[in-house]
Amino acid sequence: MKTAIRTLFNFIHGNPEGKTEAVDTFLNKSEEFRLLLSANGKALELMAEMTEAAQTGLPSGITRVRAYSVMVASSVRQMIERLCLMAPGKYDGLRDVFNDIVLAMDQAFAGPSAPAKGPVVLALRQVRAKDMPETGSKVALLGEIRSELGLEVPHGFAITASAFRLFLESNGLDDEIGRLTQIHDGNSLTELTELGRTIRHAVDMAPMPPELEEAVEAQCERLGDIRFAVRSSALGEDSEQAGFAGQFQSVLGVRPSQILDAYRTVVASMYSATALTYVRNRGLREDEMVMAAGCMEMIDAVAGGVIYTRPPMGHSDGSLIVTAVPGLPCAVVDGSSLVDSWTVNRETGRVLDRDVAEKEIRFVLASTGKIRKEKLYGGRQLAPAISDGDAERLAAMALRIERYFGRPQDIEWAKARDGRIVILQCRPLTICDPVQPAPPVDEESRGMALLSGCIPASPGAAAGYVVKVETEEDMFRFPDGAVLLARTARPQLSALLPRAAALVAEFGSSVGHLANVAREYSIPALIGAPGAVERLAGVGMVTVNGSSGTIYLGRRQRMIDREARPPARSRTTDVGLALQGVLKHITPLNLTDPDSPEFRPENCRSLHDITRFCHEKAVFEMFAQGDRPLAGARRLAGERAMQYWLVDIGGGTRGSGGTKSITIEDVCASPMRALWYGMMAIPWEGPPAPRMDGFMSVLTSAAQNPALMPGARNDMGERNYFIVGRNYCNLQSRFGFHFCTIEGFAGDDPNSNYALFQFKGGGASLDRRHARSKLVAEILERRGFIAEIREDALFARLEGVTRRAVEQTMAILGYLLMHTRQIDMSMADPGTVIRYRDKFEADIETLLDGLDAELREGGCAA
Amino acid sequence: MKKIRLLLVDDEADFRTAYARRFVRRNAEITQAASGQEAIDKIRENDFDVVILDVMMPEMNGIETLRRIKAIDPTLPVIILTGHADSKVLIQGMDMGAFDFLLKPVGTDELYFKVLDAVRSRHRVQP
Repeated sequence: MKTAIRTLFNFIHGNPEGKTEAVDTFLNKSEEFRLLLSANGKALELMAEMTEAAQTGLPSGITRVRAYSVMVASSVRQMIERLCLMAPGKYDGLRDVFNDIVLAMDQAFAGPSAPAKGPVVLALRQVRAKDMPETGSKVALLGEIRSELGLEVPHGFAITASAFRLFLESNGLDDEIGRLTQIHDGNSLTELTELGRTIRHAVDMAPMPPELEEAVEAQCERLGDIRFAVRSSALGEDSEQAGFAGQFQSVLGVRPSQILDAYRTVVASMYSATALTYVRNRGLREDEMVMAAGCMEMIDAVAGGVIYTRPPMGHSDGSLIVTAVPGLPCAVVDGSSLVDSWTVNRETGRVLDRDVAEKEIRFVLASTGKIRKEKLYGGRQLAPAISDGDAERLAAMALRIERYFGRPQDIEWAKARDGRIVILQCRPLTICDPVQPAPPVDEESRGMALLSGCIPASPGAAAGYVVKVETEEDMFRFPDGAVLLARTARPQLSALLPRAAALVAEFGSSVGHLANVAREYSIPALIGAPGAVERLAGVGMVTVNGSSGTIYLGRRQRMIDREARPPARSRTTDVGLALQGVLKHITPLNLTDPDSPEFRPENCRSLHDITRFCHEKAVFEMFAQGDRPLAGARRLAGERAMQYWLVDIGGGTRGSGGTKSITIEDVCASPMRALWYGMMAIPWEGPPAPRMDGFMSVLTSAAQNPALMPGARNDMGERNYFIVGRNYCNLQSRFGFHFCTIEGFAGDDPNSNYALFQFKGGGASLDRRHARSKLVAEILERRGFIAEIREDALFARLEGVTRRAVEQTMAILGYLLMHTRQIDMSMADPGTVIRYRDKFEADIETLLDGLDAELREGGCAA
Repeated sequence: MKKIRLLLVDDEADFRTAYARRFVRRNAEITQAASGQEAIDKIRENDFDVVILDVMMPEMNGIETLRRIKAIDPTLPVIILTGHADSKVLIQGMDMGAFDFLLKPVGTDELYFKVLDAVRSRHRVQP
């Protein structure tokens, strides 16, 4: 490329000095203009994407929003730099305006300022509800019920939010996580898994602050040689807006010496693909996630489980549900086992009903501190995990907790060997809106039931193809809108729930994590569906009724409509708010009238204003200026060339330059002759039906449609300029909303030769314009171009080829310029796209056959 | 045709290797530098057409490196390519005369075109 320019300068050198200088200036200006247009396109495209994200309410993370904002700012700054180079000293004030807007954008991102630094650990017995900002709600509420209700909770301590911030800041981990999140740009499960892996690695490698090590050591000395459960207690976790159910890891059976390793694991679990998916779907700010942890003594439980103080499915029948398994309660929450359940009357405190499940396994705490899975034999599978008396005792405790906090609760408990009940955690319970009792199932539906009597875990009905998920591979392959079928209701599956139509799991319970998340997302779910995997595998489309616990073959549209529930309440998310805040400084367009005296840099109040200003001024500097060498521009005479002007920068035309017009016959630059030939050789015939001259009519009709015009047009920009030299041609065309640059150098040294094509705009919708760009790119790539498409903008370059190849290319570019202009309107239909491609290829063949003769005629054949 | 001499400055070896590999089939000859100081030394000893520069590097950061590069050769175009979306760094870098400011990840084509633009720009800013 460099050589190309040098060669170009060399042949210009033969001209009188003054003219050379003017030509240099003009060429530089033209290059700056080209870069400015490219930056303009990119800025507008990024603005469009941000606006769309704000409208759909699905911005994917604050890191991405920030990256987009800086990318827009960078493109706008690029425009300013280009404009300042086009007209030195004239527009320097734009930089200050730009800087002010960018600083205001930064303000829009600032979250709440970090609180004052507190202690890195807190003994559990000192913790109260007010400590929530340091300990997270899980630990704070445990401390509260211990001190206020006298309930038993485990011994232990909390690693605080201050400790987390210290950990992240002391070793630059916060910056590193931000960087990794940005460079792993993407939302698919594969990409998030990879991102999670690299962040976890960074967390593993980061040194622990000595202050934290010492504090944890002191707590462990106080508590003696016990085994800990290290549990996540993230700030905001367990809140009613975002439960994070089961997203974060707990580490069980931890020795005192391993606590900091376990803490690292808990911190890293904030960045699992599952948690990242959840955070993004909920619109939470990942830069404000804070992981506190509870380090609590493990209870050697004979039984444990979960209490729901109201039925989570929303049938408010005055009951309370206690679930239990033998051994440690981990099997309840992770959905790996069936559970026993008791229904207790909230008024009388008496057991109304019990459902004893066939439990195959239990988890126990081995003397080594390890968690061991045991198979249950003999009659023990069917023995109830606790007595009715225990269930009533638990219910009474649960109601005290509910009364104290004034809302329904989800409580995890364990029963120690000596019969003590220990509360492991409590949190507000997400309850579905009450559902109408299901109408009697119609005969038709009953006949089609594949499976009934499954345990409803989230109401509603939905249909989809059944897709079984067993391995991680299966998770990556899971298609949108399918019914997720799993053996056990593992919390990891929650990453798929936003994309699933419904959930069916054989094992697990309606009080587990996965059920919670299904309810948060309003996806029908059945958990506890024995035999589902065998019965449903390979049957195709099913309808899952999460209210009645039945699965039907095929799509039962009437049932789906009948069970229709209000969509999950959409709320303005933290990320959404930040995005809206920053967009106020980006997208509003205040400068609309370029002829108004208000059209000045200091009146630019948004980045959009600056792009508008730069664009308008760049067009002015490029084309409307009366200065050299455009003063020497000659109009290209001829019936179909009303709007074309030509500037000869040296050796491109024959005869004297003194006339005001010139004919194509006087042009001897072969790239220009080839380009012109390509533009004119084959008459344009495609839609809309040509009136008068096809090409001009399209321009006229497009120009008359105000809907297609972003802002007022600058009439001076309507001219299309050919800049020619002996072996060089550049065409800049601008038709209102439509830009194109074609450039070519065709000399004897292939190293200097190149062709370039840039194309943007159109009147159709973006997807159609994009389809058109793709079609053009495909044709050019087949001829050796490197092509890139951004939205509807196409950038293509060909380099290092023979003179003949450049000439052929110029003819093809000329042809494509004329023949692809309006086809974006009909690009929605794939058949049409193929028809156009075939026609273009055939036309190009014809065109190239006649090219050599044309060039010989022009006297520019090599 | 003549190769573009490109200096790629980034403390992350994986990143340098990845881009070097992706540029192999392009018309560019890549020299790598793992730190700002190494970049300065190489620029003193060799001629380059363009520099791609990371920002967050230990010891000498990218902005300081840019300042020194511009002191040695004001016309050498420098493209900042960073994993940190920081608008203050954008402003500093552009004020200091960076040719462009890009965020990772950037597609190979997009980066290559920027490199070509930057190389062309050098000949225009020269008086």
